Amino acid sequence: MITILSDDTSQNIGKRVYEGLCERDAEVEYISLDDVNMGPCFSCGGCTDKTYGKCIHRDDGDWIFGSLVRSNIMVWVTPVTWGSYSFKTKRVLDKCALIGDRHYYLKNRELVKKMADNIQGFYGIGIKDHCREEEKQAFENLVAENINIMSVAGNAYVLDNDASEKIIMKIVEEISR
Amino acid sequence: MKKAVVINLSPKKNGTSVMLGNLCLGFLNEREHQGAIVHLYPHLKDLQQVLSAIEGADTVIMVGPCYINTYPADTVYLLEEIIKHKTILHGQNLYGIIQGGMPYVHTHESGLKMLKLFAKEGNVNYKGGFVIGLGAMLNGQPLDKLPNGKKANRFFNEFLNHVANGENSTAALYRNAQLKLPGIVYWGMANRMNKMIDKGLKEKGIDVTQPSPYFKN
Repeated sequence: MITILSDDTSQNIGKRVYEGLCERDAEVEYISLDDVNMGPCFSCGGCTDKTYGKCIHRDDGDWIFGSLVRSNIMVWVTPVTWGSYSFKTKRVLDKCALIGDRHYYLKNRELVKKMADNIQGFYGIGIKDHCREEEKQAFENLVAENINIMSVAGNAYVLDNDASEKIIMKIVEEISR
Repeated sequence: MKKAVVINLSPKKNGTSVMLGNLCLGFLNEREHQGAIVHLYPHLKDLQQVLSAIEGADTVIMVGPCYINTYPADTVYLLEEIIKHKTILHGQNLYGIIQGGMPYVHTHESGLKMLKLFAKEGNVNYKGGFVIGLGAMLNGQPLDKLPNGKKANRFFNEFLNHVANGENSTAALYRNAQLKLPGIVYWGMANRMNKMIDKGLKEKGIDVTQPSPYFKN
């Protein structure tokens, strides 16, 4: 199962990737973050002390994390915002530890965390027209760090809004592989 | 007298970010700066007080926790709102401090890169930042409680000296302060921390092997 989480406020690449995956008969769910109501993570510890493994605040995270926890691959499509994720995207990402393993592991002689066992892939697709190399690198580094700390496979891409079909299909191929 | 504002980007008012923010204020107050700390989260519905504090300052220090390798989402929101009110920027010096649980600076550095890129879009001078690892372990306690406390204190003070003088501060400072241990020691740390996690959950009557409650949704 592939879950696409896409901030569609200023881009339609997420929908194009979704269509490409559907054409390949992949099992894929599309979550548009446009109207999602997701509160901040207050780092309150409630997901440990009061409702183990679940945020104590009721918002759209209830069903979004219900979908993500059943996924094998997460695909995040976001406008590039100063080399990072958009606000809407990051609000969801900030709470991803909810579906992660609490324990520490060692990878390449460093401490890392893990996601739920079934989550094996993390792809970050950043959208920004004429993105400067410095910002592109910042986004790619950030996604690489996400992939590393979650101990999953994955990749990062930065695309223009009018990315060619060839580029989209190349990404689709990599994700569905 | 120069004015400095520390923006606390953490939802907590008594955690490691605020401890670091207070260190900044103490240091700057002794060096002819008038400083104040402004907490972001109480103002999320109306940022006017935060924006006014930034407008009135010569130096802005953004200090916050690392959530999944960079500052929390609401930092992005704050930066977006600052850009919408661009006139509040008048060439202030901007510094960033980010602290997170993992001991490695590369885990948290993306937060500082975001501030650097943000500064290029507004009339503000990004002059560097500082990364503190093992911040979650500190939980608001002083820096000298860290295993690398002596080094962390020394290099953090050098960073604060740059802030006080309005100078650039390079990544070499916080990289030098990083705790550097062989993999085998981290392996031991992981085992010890995992046992503590399991013990803590068991004491609360929580079965750590239970499936995620989100499977019920």
